[in-house]
Amino acid sequence: MKKLGKQDLLLMYRNLVRARKFDELNIRMATEGKLLTFYHSCQGHEAIGVGACTGLRKDDYLYPHHRGHALSYAIAKGMDPKDSIAEHLGRATGWGGGITGFHICVPEYGVLGVGGTIGSGFVLSAGFALAAKKRGAGQIAIMFTGDGGIQRGQFHEAANMASCWKLPVVWVVENNQMAWFTPYKDTSAVEDIATLAASYNMPGEIVDGMDVLAVHTAVQKAVERARNGEGPSLIECKTYRYRSHSEGRPDVSHYLPRSKEEIAAWKERDPVKLYEEKLLKEKVLTKELVKKISQEADSECEEAERFGLESPFPDPSILSKMVYAP
Amino acid sequence: MHRDKELQMKELSYWNAISEAIAEEMKRDETVFVIGENVQESPFLVTKGLVQQFGPDRVMDAPLSELAIAGATVGAAMAGYRPICDLTFADFIYCAADEVLMKAAQQYFSHNAKVNVPCVFMGVAGAGFGNGPEHSRIPAAMIMNNPGLKLVMPSTPYDAKGLMKAAIRDNNPVCFFFHKKCMPMKQEIPDEEYIIPLGVADVKRVGSDVTVVATSYMVHLALEAAKNLEDKISVEVIDLRSLVPLDIDAIINSVKKTGRVVVVDEDTECCGVAAEIGQQIMELAFDYLDAPVARVCAANMPIAGAAMEKYVIPQLAQVQNAIEAAAGSGAGA
Repeated sequence: MKKLGKQDLLLMYRNLVRARKFDELNIRMATEGKLLTFYHSCQGHEAIGVGACTGLRKDDYLYPHHRGHALSYAIAKGMDPKDSIAEHLGRATGWGGGITGFHICVPEYGVLGVGGTIGSGFVLSAGFALAAKKRGAGQIAIMFTGDGGIQRGQFHEAANMASCWKLPVVWVVENNQMAWFTPYKDTSAVEDIATLAASYNMPGEIVDGMDVLAVHTAVQKAVERARNGEGPSLIECKTYRYRSHSEGRPDVSHYLPRSKEEIAAWKERDPVKLYEEKLLKEKVLTKELVKKISQEADSECEEAERFGLESPFPDPSILSKMVYAP
Repeated sequence: MHRDKELQMKELSYWNAISEAIAEEMKRDETVFVIGENVQESPFLVTKGLVQQFGPDRVMDAPLSELAIAGATVGAAMAGYRPICDLTFADFIYCAADEVLMKAAQQYFSHNAKVNVPCVFMGVAGAGFGNGPEHSRIPAAMIMNNPGLKLVMPSTPYDAKGLMKAAIRDNNPVCFFFHKKCMPMKQEIPDEEYIIPLGVADVKRVGSDVTVVATSYMVHLALEAAKNLEDKISVEVIDLRSLVPLDIDAIINSVKKTGRVVVVDEDTECCGVAAEIGQQIMELAFDYLDAPVARVCAANMPIAGAAMEKYVIPQLAQVQNAIEAAAGSGAGA
């Protein structure tokens, strides 16, 4: 496994901050009525996308989680988040041409598209991995989903097939313990999702999803295993959703408000704060650099919002030409 | 072309024509592969013998997992391959609905035309063997109602081969449903390569009094009805061959000539293929109609099994009656 240098560590910090700031931007724009679609905040989840996607090859296939609408994953893989903002504003310059609402598609970075149904990523990423295996160029596929995704039949079918055929795929389940308003513990037979992996003869690992380096290490191990032709892995990142399922929805568990104490306790281990404190302690970061990175991310967000708002809407005459490929 | 005496011809069955098309395309393009349950032995013979020729990596016996088979098909197609997904029975497309209807069909459109999904979803379809509601359907209307998918339903060995080759080369997801009742049918087809483009209907019988529009096995019912009635009614039979794209021009041209039309479709009547075609005829050729557009479809109920099947699925007598009624009714009667 490649050892992370100081620049890598700083880049991960910068990307965590960017993911958080862009998430805040989307929330603000949603509140202001600028977003032309809904928004699922990724606050609390940022370490998973950033930790997992740092160090991937550009041509590795990436199927991101819907939290943050792919922000932390895309940022860590090198994509420009302003294209996401433009997409959410429905503009032709967005990464889906203003057509998709919020779906990401950046094929040059290995993001071929995402579905709108949770859990479908399991079988589609198995397909990407099947193509990667046939091509034999060392690519892998990595897919992110929530704890709800594990409850769909796609998980079982893909896990069985991919493990049997040793497909090069890594599945990261972000267990924030809630599927919309329904708690994982009241709808699942096992406490730890990672334990399901044993049924499919693949490794399953539980990782602290608030620790960007722990996520990075676990994912890199699984990526290496996939590249070596040893098959899929399941990584369960324990995490927490700070906000409601999507903006403007009630923040409830079943039908009662979620515990404020529980939310506060998880925020004590905020992934951005945890990592910042660690890097400050190890003198990789300085207070000045923290401020500078924050300001740069603010300017990037401002620029992205301006870029989005100034971009044109797509020409509706193109729609009928996009139903079938030529 | 297939009637040209100078061409070298050979006799092929319908299923053999399909397998020959797949083999030719697999030889031509290394990105083509077959995935599905039992595709190496192939219970309906359409991929039989391919594993000996191309090996198990390109003729993949998959687990009994329609979501994973269809999902892997869509994923591999998005990532640069041209998979042929064998659903076994066309009915099983319902098991894979998320992947076929929501992903394969919509992926290209919903991601700004950046990544297309070139693949074939094939399956044996149709009634005739009393197999009951989950092994007897041609889910045609559902596919037509999901923009982004193409739909091919060949009636003859010649068409099946040329259309399958076009389906594999198409840059979109194509549903290719072959009919159980057509499987043993044989026909002389050329040795040399040919391709039939999707969306081009074929006039299987020329006539002047009534147009019958059909696909798949219903074409054979229509031809039989036309023959039985030939002493009194001149029937033109149009085989659409593909429902998406739909060769509406071929239908309209024939209707302009005959003024009377019967649409025969083996799928359920309600919101069905015939309803759509009938509406388009009214929109495009109302002034040419001498009789109401008639339809003969499966009854609005699940497909019954065994001896009860024939009370649900269109039968020869119904097609004949509809043609006679169309010929004898309306302004020109």
